[in-house]
Amino acid sequence: MVPGFGGNTLRIDLSGGTVTRAPLDPAFARAWLGGRGYVDKIVYDEVPRGADPLGPENRLVVTPGVFSGHFAPSGSKCCFGAVSPLTNGPGDSTVGGHFGPELKFAGYDLLVFEGIAASPTYLFVDDDRVELRDASKYWGQGTMDAERMLKEDLGEDVEVACIGPAGENLVTCACIGHDYGRQAGRCGIGAVMGSKRLKAIAVRGTKALPVHDLPALKASTLEIMKRTAQHPNMAPWQKFGTAMFIGWSNEHGVYPAHNFQTTYFEPYAGIDGQVLVDRLLVSDKACFGCWMNCGKYSKVSLPGRDTVYVEGPEYETGSLCGGNCGFEQIEQVAYVNWLFDRAGIDTMTGGGMAAFAMECYEKGLVTRDQLEGHEMRWGSIEDLEHFVDMLTGRRGIGDAFARGYAAAAAEIGGGAERLTCQVKGQGMSGYDGRPSPAMLLSYMTADIGAHHNRSWTITMDEDLGRDVLTGKAKVVVHLQHIRPFFDTVSCCRLFWGEVDVSDEEHIEAIRQMTGWHDFTLEETLLLSERIWNLNRAHYIERNGGPGRKHDYPNARFYEEAVPTGPSQGARLTLEDLDLMLDEYYVARGWGNDGNPSREVLLDLGLDACVANLEREGLIGSLTAPLPPVRGERYKPKAF
Amino acid sequence: MPVRIQVTPEACTGCRLCRQICTIEKFGETNPRRSRLRIEAMFPAPGRYVPHVCDQCGDCADACPTGAISPRDDGVYVVDDELCSQCGACFDVCPEEVLMKGDDDVPFKCDFCWACTEVCNTGALVRAE
Amino acid sequence: MVTVLIKAGGSLTEYLKPDADAYTRRVEARAGETLRQILESIAVPPGHVAAASANGSLVALDYVPKDGDAITLVPPVQGG
Repeated sequence: MVPGFGGNTLRIDLSGGTVTRAPLDPAFARAWLGGRGYVDKIVYDEVPRGADPLGPENRLVVTPGVFSGHFAPSGSKCCFGAVSPLTNGPGDSTVGGHFGPELKFAGYDLLVFEGIAASPTYLFVDDDRVELRDASKYWGQGTMDAERMLKEDLGEDVEVACIGPAGENLVTCACIGHDYGRQAGRCGIGAVMGSKRLKAIAVRGTKALPVHDLPALKASTLEIMKRTAQHPNMAPWQKFGTAMFIGWSNEHGVYPAHNFQTTYFEPYAGIDGQVLVDRLLVSDKACFGCWMNCGKYSKVSLPGRDTVYVEGPEYETGSLCGGNCGFEQIEQVAYVNWLFDRAGIDTMTGGGMAAFAMECYEKGLVTRDQLEGHEMRWGSIEDLEHFVDMLTGRRGIGDAFARGYAAAAAEIGGGAERLTCQVKGQGMSGYDGRPSPAMLLSYMTADIGAHHNRSWTITMDEDLGRDVLTGKAKVVVHLQHIRPFFDTVSCCRLFWGEVDVSDEEHIEAIRQMTGWHDFTLEETLLLSERIWNLNRAHYIERNGGPGRKHDYPNARFYEEAVPTGPSQGARLTLEDLDLMLDEYYVARGWGNDGNPSREVLLDLGLDACVANLEREGLIGSLTAPLPPVRGERYKPKAF
Repeated sequence: MPVRIQVTPEACTGCRLCRQICTIEKFGETNPRRSRLRIEAMFPAPGRYVPHVCDQCGDCADACPTGAISPRDDGVYVVDDELCSQCGACFDVCPEEVLMKGDDDVPFKCDFCWACTEVCNTGALVRAE
Repeated sequence: MVTVLIKAGGSLTEYLKPDADAYTRRVEARAGETLRQILESIAVPPGHVAAASANGSLVALDYVPKDGDAITLVPPVQGG
C-alpha cells in the first residue's frame, strides 16, 4: 500500500462480464507513476500488434494518477488511454474536473477494460462494490444528457465519464465527456469505449485518501495558495481562462484561419476571451482542488436555436472551431462547441475536419450530393450542424470522415490529402507551424500525432528567430520530457506554467503524498524519456518503419506560404522539415530513419523494445554518439 | 448570531477546496465527503454552484430530545456525543442539510473554525461580522 | 504625464524590473502614449505579451492608459 495512491486496481473483462480487483503493485506504481505512464506501459505490453483498436483485444486504461484527490495545486486529472483508432498508435487523453479524485476516494488507481460487452453497459464503482450494469436506457444520449440521467439514477454525488453517440458509432475522433463539458478529447479514446459498448463509468468514493505527511502537504499547499493568489497571472487566468490568447495568436500570425489556409483571422475580436466573459459567461468552473478556476461555463442563445449551456469555448475550440471554420461571433463558436460536446466528438479534430470539409466544398471537391443535399460553407451554423450530424451518424461522406482524415481524403479525391491538417491522423492543434518551425517539428514528432501539449514552442521560436531551424530540436526533446511529468502524476501544468510553482515544489508534494523521500525530478524526466521511446517503438511496431516516414504533416505545411497577416510569407520547405527531423533524431539518439537505436533503448531499460524492433528489422543506427543528456532546458532570453 | 459564513453563490466555482480543508482540519484526513458543508451543483442548467453552510440557526438543537446539541457562549451549536441517543431527529430539520451523520449515527457539524473561508479564493465563502 | 502601475509575472518579470512590489513597476508615461509605446520605452518586448488587461478588462496593445490605470501583462502560455 503506497500512501498517496488509492491502493487498488480493477480488471474488467467486458466479454466475460467479470471484474477482478487486485492491490496496486508498489513497484509498478513507482516505476510508471500513473496517468499516461500506466496507459502506455499497459497497452505496449498487452495489446497485440495486429489488434484492431476497435476490437476486443484493445485495452481501455483509466488512471487518475498520484496528485488526484489531494489538497495540492490542482490534483484533478484522470487519464484515459488505449491504442488509438485515430493514429493506430499509443493514445492517451487527460481530463480535469472531478472524476480522477472520485476514483481515488473509492480506492482505485487503475482500471483496465478488455473485450466487448454483449450489450450497452456501464461500470458502476461504488467504493468496494463494482458492478457492470445495463446501459440501454442511456445509449444514444448525448454526453451531457447521459451524465444528467446517470446522476438522477445513482445520486448527484456520483462522478461520470461517458461517451456520446459518436463514440457509440465508432467515429474515430470521438471523445469522452465528464462534468458537463470537460473532455478527454484527443486520440479517439471515446471510440474505443464505444467499441466495447461501454457507455459510461460512474464512480462514488467515500474513503479517506492515504497521505504520507498530510500536515506538511497542507502547509506547503496553503503557502503556495497564498503566494500564487498574488501572482499577476492568477487574476487574468481566473477571469478569462485560455480564451484570452485568441488575440495574441492572431497578432502573432499563428492562428488557424479557414483550414490553416492562412494564420490571421481579421474578425477575431468577436470570438476572444473578453466577449466570452461579456456575453456568455454564467459561472467560472474549477477542477477539483484548483483555485485558478479557468473553466468558463457559458449560456448560448443563437437565433432560431434552443438556448444551450457549454463549458468553453477554450482557446483550442475558439481557434479550430472559430476562425478555422470562419465563425466570427462567440455565440456561434460556443454553439459549435456544444454540438461537438453533445455528440462526444473532440472539438479539435472535429473542428479541423469541418474546416477541411469546408475548404473541399469551396474548391468543388465535395458536392452537395455527398452532403445529403446540404452545403458546407465557411461560417455557416446550419451547414456545420448538419455535418456534425452526418459525422456522428456516419451517413454519406460522414462515414469516411468517421474513419479518419486519410479515409476522407481518399473518398474525396482530387488531391484532398494535401488539405488534411494533421500528423499521423490526429488533427493539428490551434497553432500554425509555418511561422513557428519548432512547433511544426513538435507536431511532427509528438507520439500521438499533431498535438501541442507534448511540446509548445511558439515563444521559443520567436525568441530564437522564426527563420532559424537549427538548435531548436533539443529544446523540443526537453519539453517532450518535462510536460509528460504532469500527465503521469495527473496534475494540471498551469500552476507550473503560469504562476511559477516550481518543479521542486511539485516533487516535494509527491514526496509528502507518498513518502518517497528519494523521489526527484530527474527520475520523472527519465520516465518521460522511457515512455517516449516505448511509444515510438510501439508506433513503429504497429505501423511499420522507418519511423521517419510517419513524421510528416500534409503538404500545405511544406508547399504553401502563409498568404496574409502578420506571418505573411512564412514558408517551410520539405528540406527544412528534413533538416529539423535530422537534428531531432540525433538529439533523441535515434537513427536518421527515425527508428530508436539499440543504445538509447538499452540505456532506458527497454530491452523488450530492442527485441521487438530487431525482430522486425526496425532498429535504428546511430549516426552520431548517443547524447548523454537528451534534450536541453530552454530559458527565455534575458533582455 | 453576529458572526457567520457569508455565502455568495455566484462566486462559487465548485472547486471543493472548502470541503477538502474542512475534513483535513476536523478529521485529519483527505476526504471531502466527511466535510461539514456541501456544494450543490446545478448543471447543465442554470450552470451554478450553491454552497450550503451552517448558520447556527439551532433548529437541530430544538429537535434534539436529549439536549445533545446546544449553543456555546459564542452561539455556535456543538454536539455532545455522550448525550446523543442516535434517534436521528436532528438530521431532517436542518434547513441547509449540513448536519452530517457519522458512522456511529451521531451528528457532526460546523463549528465556525473558518478554515473554509481561508481557502476560498473567490469570495464565495467569507467570514462576516 | 500619467502614472500607470504595470504588473507581470513569469517570464516577463526580468524584463519588467518591478520596483513597487515583487511584480509591479510604476511607470510615468506621456499622456496619449499607447501601451505598446510605453512597454517599448521601459524595454519590455511587446511581443512577449500574450494578453493585457487594464482594470480587469482585456485590452490590445494600442490601448491608451489613463492616469492610475492598473495594467496586468500576461506572458504566453508557457512552453519553456
